[in-house]
Amino acid sequence: MSVSLGADRQILLEGSCGSEDAESLLQLLLSMPGAVVDWQRCSMAHAAVLQVLLAAGPPLRGTPRGEELARWVGPALARLDQ
Amino acid sequence: MNELLQQFLIESRELAEHATDDLLALEHAPRDAELLDSVLRAMHTLKGSAGIVEFFEMEQAVHAAEDALGAARRNLGVPERAVIAQGLACLDQVMEWLDAIARTGELPRAAAAARPVQHDWSAALLERHPDALPLATTAIRYIPDADCFFQGEDPIAHITALPQLLAFEMQPAQPWPPLAALDPFRCNLVLLALTSASLESIADHMRGVSGKHDIAALSSQGQRLDQSLTAAARHVLASQLALVDGSPPPPFGHLASAAITASNVLRFCGGDAEADRLAGIAAMDRADMHAALRAALSGLLADPPEEKSAAGRAPQPAVRSSRTEGTPRTLRVPAERVDALVRLTGELTVARNALSHLARLAALQGNSLAPLLKARDAAFGQLTSQLQRAVLTLRVMPLRAVFQRFPRLLREISEELGKAIQLKTIGEDTEADKAVAEALFEPLLHVVRNAADHGVEDPALRARQGKPPTATIEIRAARQGDQVLVEVADDGRGMDVDRIRQTARDRGLATEDVLGSMTEEEIIELAFAPGFSTAGAVTHLSGRGMGMDVVRTVVERLGGRVSIQSQAGKGTTVRFMLPFSVMMTTVMSVQAGGQMFGVPLDSVVEAIRLPRSALSAVGAARAVVIRDQTIPVVDLSQMLGDHDRVPDSTETTLVITSFAGQRCGLEVDKVGEHLDIILKPLDGLLAGTPGISGTTLLGDGRVLLVLDVGEMLQ
Repeated sequence: MSVSLGADRQILLEGSCGSEDAESLLQLLLSMPGAVVDWQRCSMAHAAVLQVLLAAGPPLRGTPRGEELARWVGPALARLDQ
Repeated sequence: MNELLQQFLIESRELAEHATDDLLALEHAPRDAELLDSVLRAMHTLKGSAGIVEFFEMEQAVHAAEDALGAARRNLGVPERAVIAQGLACLDQVMEWLDAIARTGELPRAAAAARPVQHDWSAALLERHPDALPLATTAIRYIPDADCFFQGEDPIAHITALPQLLAFEMQPAQPWPPLAALDPFRCNLVLLALTSASLESIADHMRGVSGKHDIAALSSQGQRLDQSLTAAARHVLASQLALVDGSPPPPFGHLASAAITASNVLRFCGGDAEADRLAGIAAMDRADMHAALRAALSGLLADPPEEKSAAGRAPQPAVRSSRTEGTPRTLRVPAERVDALVRLTGELTVARNALSHLARLAALQGNSLAPLLKARDAAFGQLTSQLQRAVLTLRVMPLRAVFQRFPRLLREISEELGKAIQLKTIGEDTEADKAVAEALFEPLLHVVRNAADHGVEDPALRARQGKPPTATIEIRAARQGDQVLVEVADDGRGMDVDRIRQTARDRGLATEDVLGSMTEEEIIELAFAPGFSTAGAVTHLSGRGMGMDVVRTVVERLGGRVSIQSQAGKGTTVRFMLPFSVMMTTVMSVQAGGQMFGVPLDSVVEAIRLPRSALSAVGAARAVVIRDQTIPVVDLSQMLGDHDRVPDSTETTLVITSFAGQRCGLEVDKVGEHLDIILKPLDGLLAGTPGISGTTLLGDGRVLLVLDVGEMLQ
């Protein structure tokens, strides 16, 4: 499973997150407002998943493994937080 | 200038002024959401109307400004100063365009070259990514379809895979709903990117994706800058180019300093992007620098300055004030206010009439003030009639507004009929009261349809008769004194008098005897009778047998007349005589049964005095023969209810009226003066009284009832 609940009530994004993961990510974020999302082991995330991150704006932990995510998406998400 | 463009000018000016005011206010209160909404609404309408007149450059420019402001509202709620400035510059440009249209009557041709704020989102994007600035050549804005996820698309992956990506941003397309209401499978993204790849390769990359995307070539930055280059700056740049082009080629150090000079000039003019690019060139290797600098400088100087100077970019008060000179301004006033003014003027006229009455009374009584009163009254009279004329012209409009609807309509009609017909309009500048002009359209349309349908022959028949294959229908208008003449003439077969007579007989519109004694003109007049139609087949266009009588009713309701002239084989002309203004009516005052009445002068043919013995009884009615024409006579006072009147003299006065081609003599006691009056329609208890069209107040305070001759005769 690419979206899961880790230790310390952290939400983990791992491997390749497809569009179907968007719903479970949203549910986790809804049930735990303010939870941190750890995406260090995420290599790829579909736009639907990223859109949930964009809308919910949870704190993100680490730099994702995927190059595109690290180089472009991370800064783009951070830009909106400013 | 065509009416549509005129309307566009008036409306767009208002909108642009409105949006400018709001934007200026927004600069001081950037958090005022209502102001921002108001600006966006005005811009949206402005954009729409530009689209309607097919002024696409303006549509695009306003669209870009609207977009930038709209994005500001969505993202932050507060537009950046730069975005407001861009909006103002855009509106300034719009104003200049509108002035150009007002001057030339055409859409400005140089508009395409100007495009001052076409890619505002890209300019804002560049501003946010200064690091990408020197290299960026293309900007992309991509708004995927909301259901693109279901189509298996991953728009973010697609954009981050763009060749030579320099910067990437994502924003919500619509404000995010509360998280609980978020539909994670509905795409609500706007993706923005800067790349150093060419526009073509980006277009290739974006081909086939869902939703909408804009691709902007950032070389337009240079062009935009060029518009604001002062003559001095251009001169400096040109001398750098001359140096670069000089032979022998200048030494490396000269080239680098030329690049730095150019860079400084550009920075001074506010062209930071270009300045950075040139500073980059100054840092290049010797081998590359010569060509790069040459290309950059000639690019900057490429376009002649005259074209560009029209597109100044900073909103400057000086520009604005120079704009107002020499451009006709129009004021739009609600029609009710004009009508109120007309009504008040009418009352002023009545008050003035009272003064005249007083002056006459004073003269009769030998009062010493009488001469003074008379002189004052005359001056007052002159002023009121001037005021009246001025006020009435407020309601006046050229008939062009009516005429210009006909070319398209006639094209449809002629296509449907399979006849080639050309339309000519003459005297479109002729003016008439708004009410007259507006009411004229329908009768004109009936007549034009009739002309096309019944008047114009089939092409084959025209050919046999040696007529040109394309028939001509001409609509002409001219002012004739207090009246407006409008004619519709065709070069068709003319009206067939025998056929009209036959039809009238068949339909029982007149007896054989009556028909036999009628002149040709009278027979043609029958075409105005209700229920008359000679069309062989009832077509979609006309021939429902209601055309001409409706035409006559409408025209006469306006206080006008309509007549037909026809020549067999040569064509038919329908002639409308309409009052210039419906507000003013000239009436002849008459006295009957001790009361004053007004008879509209346009229905009076003549007033005659003749011995009572000239009236002969015809059954229960009476008639008189004047110039071999038998005219029925009615006693006005009797008709209005005074039955006991005994004729007290051997002579009588008749006012001969004409209505719908029918003549009738009104027997009255006395004929009085002609009065210019402003007719007030009947209201209250009197509303709908038959035979009376309205009232006006006389100078001595009495009410004058104005007769509706047509209604009375029925």
